[in-house]
Amino acid sequence: MPAITVITREGEERAVDAGAGLSLMEAIRDAGIDELLALCGGCCSCATCHVKVDPAFLPLLPAMSEDESDLLDSSEHRDVTSRLSCQISMGEELAGLRVTIAPED
Amino acid sequence: MASKIAIQDFDDITYNPFDSDEINFGATLDPYPQIAEWRATAPVIEGDYRSKMGLTSALYPDRKVFTVVGTKEILETLTDMDRFSNEGYKFNIGRTFGEGSISTMDNPEHGRWRKIFQKIFLPQNVKPWGEEIVDPIVKGLMDKFIPRGEADLIEEFTILYPFAIIYKQLDLPVDDIKTFQRLAIGQTDYVNADKAIEAGRKQGVYFSQLVEERRKHPGDDLVSLLANTEVDGDYLPDLVLISFLRQLMNAAGDTTYRGTSILLTALLDNPDQFDAIRADRSLIPQAIEEALRWDGPVLVQLRMAKVDTVLGGVAIPAGSLLDVVAGAANRDPAIFADPDRFDIFRERKPHFSFSRGPHICVGQHLARVEMTRALHAVLDNLPNLRFDPDKPRPEIRGSMMRVPRHLYVRFGD
Repeated sequence: MPAITVITREGEERAVDAGAGLSLMEAIRDAGIDELLALCGGCCSCATCHVKVDPAFLPLLPAMSEDESDLLDSSEHRDVTSRLSCQISMGEELAGLRVTIAPED
Repeated sequence: MASKIAIQDFDDITYNPFDSDEINFGATLDPYPQIAEWRATAPVIEGDYRSKMGLTSALYPDRKVFTVVGTKEILETLTDMDRFSNEGYKFNIGRTFGEGSISTMDNPEHGRWRKIFQKIFLPQNVKPWGEEIVDPIVKGLMDKFIPRGEADLIEEFTILYPFAIIYKQLDLPVDDIKTFQRLAIGQTDYVNADKAIEAGRKQGVYFSQLVEERRKHPGDDLVSLLANTEVDGDYLPDLVLISFLRQLMNAAGDTTYRGTSILLTALLDNPDQFDAIRADRSLIPQAIEEALRWDGPVLVQLRMAKVDTVLGGVAIPAGSLLDVVAGAANRDPAIFADPDRFDIFRERKPHFSFSRGPHICVGQHLARVEMTRALHAVLDNLPNLRFDPDKPRPEIRGSMMRVPRHLYVRFGD
């Protein structure tokens, strides 16, 4: 179970154990952090699970699909570290990952 | 010579689809106390929502039905795709909008087509439609009643503008619109199922011709865009495309008409909050979200159990239908304090009026653009807007779908 750090909108750092096979969105949600809305439930159909990823980990993440990129474009807060957390599958290679929940649009 | 596209009316031209609203969607003034009572008893109760609300069950097959009113169970039903399916919609909207309606599909098939529609309706793509399409239509409608200083904002505005936007987006021939609207409304007359099915069939014939025409001579309208969209080297299957076009009137027209009507009613009922928006229009987005939460246009979604399962402590056999009362979650006091109160200043939390899960409303961003432009136009053009003291106050009614029938107002001096 890769241990990761989630930084909430208020700046609070939370240690989260991400179960293997879960998406990053599910891991954050299952840790009880409800400010990550994920309204579509994790199928790349909204942009409410937007996170900013520690740049050191960006190369380890799966490539971004065009659909994900289009959805992120709908956010005013997109930057180069932006990803939809439902599109990131948690594996051991992501142990130590640090992500910040993006501001609400 | 361009082929003439023909639209066919109902065989029985005396049939009036506009009379079908109450029997299909109910006339209950306030369903929420009843829903609160159920929630206090159990999150999942046996029996179907329609008959519990005194409506005829319509195009429902004979099988077990449960009504889901607990927020946790609502979320579970709408997001757990391993246990719950959208197949239940094949029995009703699948027969009228068509088997290609993505609302009747599950992932991965649903996602494959949804992506295409989703891209068209992304916030960044629909935003420009506000000024280009919505504003002129809204202004044109208002110009007709502004000189009178009084109006019925339903009959003269909200029931017209979202449909006019669709006609414009589809670039429909003007002569076809009257019949088109009769068919579009008739499609959801499930209690008169023969009429709903006739409407779906005739809409289908019409749209097939329109699609063929626009493939030959594409314009910059939505039919041309969809008809010429390629997926993996092929056009969208006609079944999916025609079903989507059929569904558009209901999904984009009817809901926005209801949502805007409820928004304006709520603001007139709460003049202090309306004044706050007049003074600061940056409050408009939260006013729209609160109107959608407080009394969203669509209360119920339908799902089907894929497997034998337990929901909220109740055993649900595979194949059972679930009436998921997403509108119940909008009034859950555990989430929204004092939930029956309309309060644009309440703590911002996401509502359930666009549903949740993979089928979350694909047109939600367009709905927000339309409602935003409509409210700006009301503020710009109808100063000192108030209820007409000589006419009845609006009553929001319905147990499946909500709307007031009339909204009599005065404005100006």
